[in-house]
This record gives sequence, structure tokens and C-alpha cells, in this order.
Amino acid sequence: MTNTTAVVVTGIGLVTPIGTGRQQFWDALMAGHSGFGPVKSFDTSSFGVHLGAEIADFNPCDYVFALDPETIGRSSQLAIAAARLALQDGSLELDKTDRRRAGVCVGTTSGEPHFIERFDDHYVSGELERVGKEFITRYPCHVVPGHVAKELGLAGEAMMIPTACAAGNYAIAHASDLLRARKTDFMLAGGADSFSRITYTGFARLGAIAPEVCQPFDRNRKGMVPGEGAAMLLLELKERAIARGARIYCEIGGYGLSCDAHHMTAAHPQGEGATRAMNMALIKSGVSPSHVDYISAHGTGTPTNDRLETIAVKKTFGQLAYEIPISSIKSMLGHTMGAASAIEAAACALAITEGRIPPTMNWVSQDPECDLDYVPNVSRACEVRVAMNNAYAFGGNNSSLILTANSA
Amino acid sequence: MMDTQSIKTTIKQSISRVTGIPAETISDSASYEGDLGLDSLSILEIAVDVENHFKFQASDEELTSIRTVEETVDLVRRRLCAEVA
Amino acid sequence: MGVISSLGDSPALLHSALCQGRTALHPVEEPGFDDLNCRQAGHISAFHPEAYLPEKNLRPLDRTGQLVVCAAKLALANSGWTADKLAARDVGLVLGTMFGSVHTISKFDRHALVQGPSYASPMDFANTVINAAAGQTAIWHKLRGINSTIACGSTSGLVALGYATDLIRYGHQTAVLAGGADEFCFESFCGFERAGLLYGNGEGRPVPFHHRRTGFALGEAAGLLMLEDWEAAVSRGANILAEIRGYGSTYNPASDQAGNEGDAIVRAVQAATEDAVLSLVEIDCISASANGSVNLDRDEAFAVKTLWNGYSSLVPITAIKSMVGETLGASGVLQAIDLIETMRTGQLPGIAGLDQFEPTLPSLDICRHERSVRVRSGLVNSIGFDGHACALLISEPPDLN
Repeated sequence: MTNTTAVVVTGIGLVTPIGTGRQQFWDALMAGHSGFGPVKSFDTSSFGVHLGAEIADFNPCDYVFALDPETIGRSSQLAIAAARLALQDGSLELDKTDRRRAGVCVGTTSGEPHFIERFDDHYVSGELERVGKEFITRYPCHVVPGHVAKELGLAGEAMMIPTACAAGNYAIAHASDLLRARKTDFMLAGGADSFSRITYTGFARLGAIAPEVCQPFDRNRKGMVPGEGAAMLLLELKERAIARGARIYCEIGGYGLSCDAHHMTAAHPQGEGATRAMNMALIKSGVSPSHVDYISAHGTGTPTNDRLETIAVKKTFGQLAYEIPISSIKSMLGHTMGAASAIEAAACALAITEGRIPPTMNWVSQDPECDLDYVPNVSRACEVRVAMNNAYAFGGNNSSLILTANSA
Repeated sequence: MMDTQSIKTTIKQSISRVTGIPAETISDSASYEGDLGLDSLSILEIAVDVENHFKFQASDEELTSIRTVEETVDLVRRRLCAEVA
Repeated sequence: MGVISSLGDSPALLHSALCQGRTALHPVEEPGFDDLNCRQAGHISAFHPEAYLPEKNLRPLDRTGQLVVCAAKLALANSGWTADKLAARDVGLVLGTMFGSVHTISKFDRHALVQGPSYASPMDFANTVINAAAGQTAIWHKLRGINSTIACGSTSGLVALGYATDLIRYGHQTAVLAGGADEFCFESFCGFERAGLLYGNGEGRPVPFHHRRTGFALGEAAGLLMLEDWEAAVSRGANILAEIRGYGSTYNPASDQAGNEGDAIVRAVQAATEDAVLSLVEIDCISASANGSVNLDRDEAFAVKTLWNGYSSLVPITAIKSMVGETLGASGVLQAIDLIETMRTGQLPGIAGLDQFEPTLPSLDICRHERSVRVRSGLVNSIGFDGHACALLISEPPDLN
């Protein structure tokens, strides 16, 4: 029996360090392309690390038409680009919809960091008089969904959920709740973050940035690589998608959110909160652990995250954990912060429709504490009817989102 | 070159700034986790505060290896000698 | 309910101060603000977090974190959630904030710029994420349920209440501490002044609907409500203060252009009444978002007229930002707390300083002074200068029968 009130993904838009647009992104993911290189957007000579995953050749003028691209920050530009690409991919013409029932929900870690960075440059140079009126209208993070809404003329809810590195999942979860409650007809949900000096400085100071390569779950992994990007999923109820003949990638199942309430930057040592989030997601989705075909890991590549994440997966799935492939696309994209779990949700949606799962790249030798099937180095054909997307953030925020194949 | 007692005092002042524990109650042999009950973020904050005060940069390995007040004093002495030499 | 504000650290104290028409505005005497023109704000000059949290080291918390952790302590105590109850159940936390702490972000960045990145503060970095205060509060009070942060500008707090209400309705949580906070700091104060949004000095007035209003006064607060599933609250013997009936959250994509006459808040209120299954005629008072902004106050006044179809002169309206200032992420929550107190006490605060209502605005039943009102259901409006609008409907507690 078809559940026509299921929330479905009908469009995918992404701007990432390995490609822009669904097809380019997926092809790069399957080929194991790397988005890493020396940081270009600011001078890292006084840092001990220099690796980043920046997006080269992004031209906002290709996507921002209603607003003047020079008056909005890079995160807003990336979010708008991803939104337009999702609408195009989903063949949705907004002119034919009631825009009061179309909304946007974005997750982020930093919002528009460049504006506070410029403010600070003026501040330390004793030139605060150079801070203009645009600081307040361009900096606070709520401007990101606001700019998407202004660009596209959306008059439903324009929401920002800044739950850092788990934010994409939160945004998709909230959007799916609004749709199920029939408060809205369409939602663009995802995440966006632009490369930030502040973020880079912080992670470098924590010793969390890998000096040469990001290799999640590998025995010799040394850290994560900060990146930037944006992804938006076009979401609607299945009955509407069917009525307008839209292509359906997959369904959004249930989700689980929890808080470790333990430490600001380190996960709970027994993976307690992450386990609860996974279990909640499975229960809410009505999916048993044995039905999960693929897990998109948070997999940042830091020694601690990957070890604790593995513990949490084993706690949730027991012996089944050894049979479920689990990969981290951060091995190719780096850590795109608030965009990460949205990009990873998109990858899950594509894994379901394409019947292939992305690899964990740069995996060379096994860590005895990370002994699951991480799909090392080569993408793999795999029928995926149920995917689980996990993401964790500072503040002990844990999230798990279930995506399932379109039920006929 | 600074004497050991001054280094200890400075380090204990750092610890006090970060933790609120009065400097004079911190014993020379106190361990950060066991005796002072500090988490990893607090320990790193103390280490960076100490580095900033004495103007040296420890490696990541050195930073993650200091577990007691004494070990921190030794690190500073080693680094101050190294900078001078 | 728990609140830390410049007019009191309990709902009763806050409400009493508002009913007396007391203003939170006072001179900004803190060092470092000398270059700015606007010299008055509603910041909390005498905030002593150690008085609320005597047992632990406060260094890990920045000011925003301190405000929220303290407000949470008050709200948890107030609602009877003891430590062992919290250990037995996963209580959630949803916090609305506009900035998180832009002061911490700036301080971290500037310290790294001046001293070098290797001397950046790890503890400050942990507080640079906008969800830091929510994370810190969860750690402090062992709140292991759903933890989320909402950032929709000055509507953040009200949206957070709506979001948390939905979490409970959809069965994701049975108890959620929800509200909002924003600290007063140089960075945001400077930004608002540069944008020309503050009321300025001299002839300027931060008075809602005033004939000579010139902008808002920046305030500071943290407010949290303990929201619970009705059955769960009854079965634990909780003292039920009010019911959140429904909410609406919208956006105005043309907010840069004048002349929309509050379309977004009109739609938000309509959505709220549908969500609440409540009609406008049942609303006994309105807590307006108006804060002295030239355009937004006007939009709200016309929105009320549109909604009530000419009967707007029958619904008493207050605007507490006339006294407590614009508290950004906390604003809608303070309004909600005061509305619940109004329901309890039967007294609606007046709009302080409103000696001259703007004559071109529609005729409204504006409370200039404290008034006795029987409020069974009330409307809270929150409108942001960027285009966000949110409306929340609150009723007296339902009958136990």
C-alpha cells in the first residue's frame, strides 16, 4: 500500500569541492575524486597545517539573479546555487506554485563568517569606522535562508538551524515534519557553509586538522580537513510529487536527535548519545536494524570520532554492524561543516536510486578498533533500500536520518 | 632564564584562570585529570595559555602528553632552554 | 518558566516591573563603547552568574552561555524538574538566538589575529558555534533529549517555542525546555548602530507606535519555558501555567521594499489561528513585537487592522519592548512569559512612554497604562527587520476535567 503522505526527495542541488550539480557530484564520488588542496582563501603560513577543501571556480552570477551577488555573502550564494539546482533537477517551476506554501530550511556552522572576519580586521587595525551598515544585514546567520527566500520569492517559513556539523540532518528533519503536518507544500532543505578562517583556526588549534590526507577509519588517520559547500533537497509529499509527475529519488523516513550532555567538543566515550539517535531513527522509521543496507558515516577522519562512531554503530547494530557497509565521503569532500550532512543525505538518495555506494578513500591499513566494512577506496554496486545518514556536532548534538527507497 | 619556582607560579596562575581553582591550592604534583578533575578542553586551554605566556609553540605530541603540573613545568623549561640556545 | 532580564530574574518580578512601567534603559558605561553614538541600552548591568551557579567553574561559559544556563536552572527548579527526574527522562532543549555569541566569535578571531593562530583559545573556539549555549546548558543540566538551536533573527525565540511545541505534538519528546537568548555586546551594538536601526540619542525615541519613534533600544535577556505533553505533565503532578495552542512562521521575501503592510505577520497570525483551532474573536489581548522601529511598528499596526477587519480597536495591545528593549532571540519568549503572567494576574502592562500615538496609524486599543484584563487566550507577535514573522497563541491551562 503506497503511503502517499510520505515525504519524498524530488530534486537534488549541490555545490561541493568535487563537483557542482547532481551528476557531476555523483560521478566524482563514484570515481573517488579528491577535493583537497592547499588553502587559497587566506594565508596559512603561520599555521602548522595547510590543507583545505575549497570550491574553485564558483561564479555566483550563474545562480543569483534577483539579488545582487555582491551584496550577499558566499554561504548565501552557495545556498542559492544549490536551491536553484534542486528546483531545476526537480522540474519545479515556482511560478506555478503558491509561494506562501513554499519554504526553506538551512543548516550551518558559521553562517556568513567573512563578514565578522572583516569586522575583526577593522577592529584590530583600529578602523572600526569602516564597519558599515551592511554588517547587520549580511552577517547574522539567518540571512542565509533569508537570501534564498528573497532570491526565489518564497514566503513560507525561512528557517536557520545552526546546529553546526549535524545541521543538514536537522534541517531535513524539520522540513519533513512541516510537510507531514501539511503546513507547507514544498521545502528546500539542506545546509551551507563557506570556507572560514575562524573555523580553520579553531580546528587547527584543537590539533584536529590532518597534515596531508583525510583518511577516515584508517589506522594512521590524523584528522579532518575543513571544507565548504552547500546542498539542498527539494522535498514534498509523495501525493503531490505523483500528481505533478515528478521523479522521486527516495523517501525521507524518520529521524533521531539526541544530546550527549557530556562535553562541548568530544563525543561521549561510549557513544551513548549517537546510539540513542540511531535507535530513535530506526524506531521512528519502522525499520529494523537488519534492513539497513548502507550507513553514511560522520567519519571526519579524526582518531577520536572514527573510533567512537564505530563503537556507537556496533552498540546499535550488534553483530549486524559487520554486514552493513559504512563509508565516509568526507574522505573526498573534506568536512563541509553545516553542509556536510545535507550533502551526505543527497549521496544516500543517489545511492538508493543508482544502486551504488560511495567509497571511503585513502584507506590503507586497518585500525583494530575500526574493523567494519568501510567500503575502502572503490565504489561498489549495492542495492540500497534503506540508508542511514549520521552526523555529530559540537555541543554533543547527535543526528540520524533514515532514507528509504520509494515504496511502490 | 626564569627559575623553576617562577615557572611553576605562572603555570598555576594559568590553571587558576582557566579552572577557577585558587593557584595556592594546586600542588606541584597534581594531575590534571585525576586530581583536578579537568576535561581535555580545559587541559588544552591551560597548555595554550602557558605557551602564549612563555611565547613558545609546543608540538601536538607535546601538548597531548602533559598530564600533570610537573610535566608542564618540565616542558616549559625544556622549551625556554631551547629558545635561548 | 525561567528568565534573566534587566527588569528581574523571575516571571513575577519581570511582570511587576512592566506593569509599573519601569524602563530597562540606562547608560552604557562599559569600557570600549565610547565611539558609538547611542549611549543607552537595556543590558543587564548587575548579572552575577555565580549567584545562580555557585558550585562550579564558570570559565567554560561565555556570557550567552551563562545567561542560558542560569535561566535554565531557574526554569527547571520552577517546574519541578529535579536532578533525579532529569536522570530518569531525556528532556530536550530548543534555543532561539540571533547571534549565539558574536562577541565570543570576534574575541576568538581577534586574539588569533593579534597573537597568532597557535595561541587561539580552544575554550573560546568551543563557544564560537551558534549552538554553543544550547550545548553548554545541556551539559550543565544533563538535558539529553533533542537539542536544537533556531536562528531566525529577532523572531528566533518565538519560533523556537513553536518548533518545540511541534516536537511534542509529533511525539518526538514529552518535555522540552524552549526559549531564547541574546547577550548585549559591543559587536552587535555597533552593528545595529551602523545600520541606523537604533533609536539614537537626543530627540530619538525607542517607543513603539510613537509619533516620533526613531528606532529600537537594544536589550539583553534569556528566557525559557518548560513545555510538556499534557498527559505527561498531569501524571507527574506538574503545575500547569498555560497551553501553547499553535503558531505560524512566515517570511516576507520583499521585506526590503516598503508598502507590504505587514503581510508576513498577517499570514503568520492566520496560520497560528488555524494551527490552534482558535478564532480571532477568542483572542483577548495582543503582545506586539513593536519596538520603536519606524517601518515595522507601522506594518504591525496595519496588520492588526487587516486581521481584525476593522474590529482591532476592541483588542487591547501592549508592547513590552517599550520597557525591556529589543532582546532579539529572547524577545518573543519574554513576551510569552509576560502574557502568561498577565493571564495569572489579570493585569496587562501599558506601553511606557507612548504619549503620542502616530496619527497615521489605524486606530487600535493601545494600552498606555497598566490595565485589568481577563485574558483566556492571547497572541504574541514577533517580526524581524529581515522579513521573518512569527505568531504564537497561548491560552489558560486547560480544565483538568
